[in-house]
Amino acid sequence: MEKQLSLPRLREEMTSGVLCAWLKEEGEPVAPGEPLYEIETDKVVNQIEATEAGVLKKQLREEGDEIVPGAPVAILETE
Amino acid sequence: MERKPGWLKVRYNQEAVEEVARLMGELKLNTVCREANCPNLGECYRKHTATFMILGSVCTRNCRFCDVKPGRPLPPDPEEPENVAAAARRLGLRHVVLTCPTRDDLPDGGAEQFAKTVRAIRKACPGATVETLISDMKMNTAALDAVIEARPEVLNHNVETVKELQGDVRPQADYRRSLDVLRYCKEKDGTLLTKTGFMVGLGETEEQIEVLMDDALAAGVDILTIGQYLQPSPEHHPLARYASPEDFARYREKALAKGFRYVASAPLARSSYKAWEALEGVHDLH
Repeated sequence: MEKQLSLPRLREEMTSGVLCAWLKEEGEPVAPGEPLYEIETDKVVNQIEATEAGVLKKQLREEGDEIVPGAPVAILETE
Repeated sequence: MERKPGWLKVRYNQEAVEEVARLMGELKLNTVCREANCPNLGECYRKHTATFMILGSVCTRNCRFCDVKPGRPLPPDPEEPENVAAAARRLGLRHVVLTCPTRDDLPDGGAEQFAKTVRAIRKACPGATVETLISDMKMNTAALDAVIEARPEVLNHNVETVKELQGDVRPQADYRRSLDVLRYCKEKDGTLLTKTGFMVGLGETEEQIEVLMDDALAAGVDILTIGQYLQPSPEHHPLARYASPEDFARYREKALAKGFRYVASAPLARSSYKAWEALEGVHDLH
């Protein structure tokens, strides 16, 4: 099953974050708790963890992109 | 946005964050983790740890480093002490940290609510230790007595920055008064562990940091926390620099050599971050 992953709202007043790095390539397996990508916000760089197992099917955004909370970032193929 | 140094990196797990946030919402509780936009929120919530912010989420002061909203707060919630105790129990906390926005509008600065909450935790979570991270309560000794008499294991009050930057960083507070609060509490109850903390990156010098450490020690402080200032927004106090992990290691060595019993010094060290380890670290020295 394909599941679309969106950027979580990391803080209440968050308006956007910058995607600084992908930590998984397309086609790579992902385990729950493994970091998928890095988002830079006002204070720090946040490594966003996968919350379920699967394969990273598609990276929907590129490094350097500014992303708003709730916007799709990736597609995960789950079992 | 200026690129962050590589050591300012944290993990974020949406499921874990939502789980703790749900519990807090159900019990009408606030955490300083969320209200102050703490970068460690993801890690702490994942470990089922949180620092409760009692007495609401609105502060009567307007410190230039802090992300807690200033304004006119609501009266204390009479159900809050029991709700905090219930949440601490459900999270299985062995060390409960309580803090508050500064409540200059209340005659006792919120001391009674602290005392009630400590007592409620004692009942609901036998064996858990409690840390109260208080405001200066305007150095009202009757208010401080009420907190001390509830017998938390740790009494924490932050000086936040060096003497020279107090006016810019926390204009409604006072360096001497903060030290007086710490000294008073220690003198009142010698078994109480006292704790303070400060930020680096606001423009302080190494010499000023040393004086701060000496002043805190002279006030009887046992535990010291040192962390990087992170500017919450462009409207807040400007960031002067990012101190490196090596800088923090050096501060730690200095503080330990001066005589603090436990020192947490790291870029993302915060007042209540891994507070249990500090308590454990001190008790190992007994």
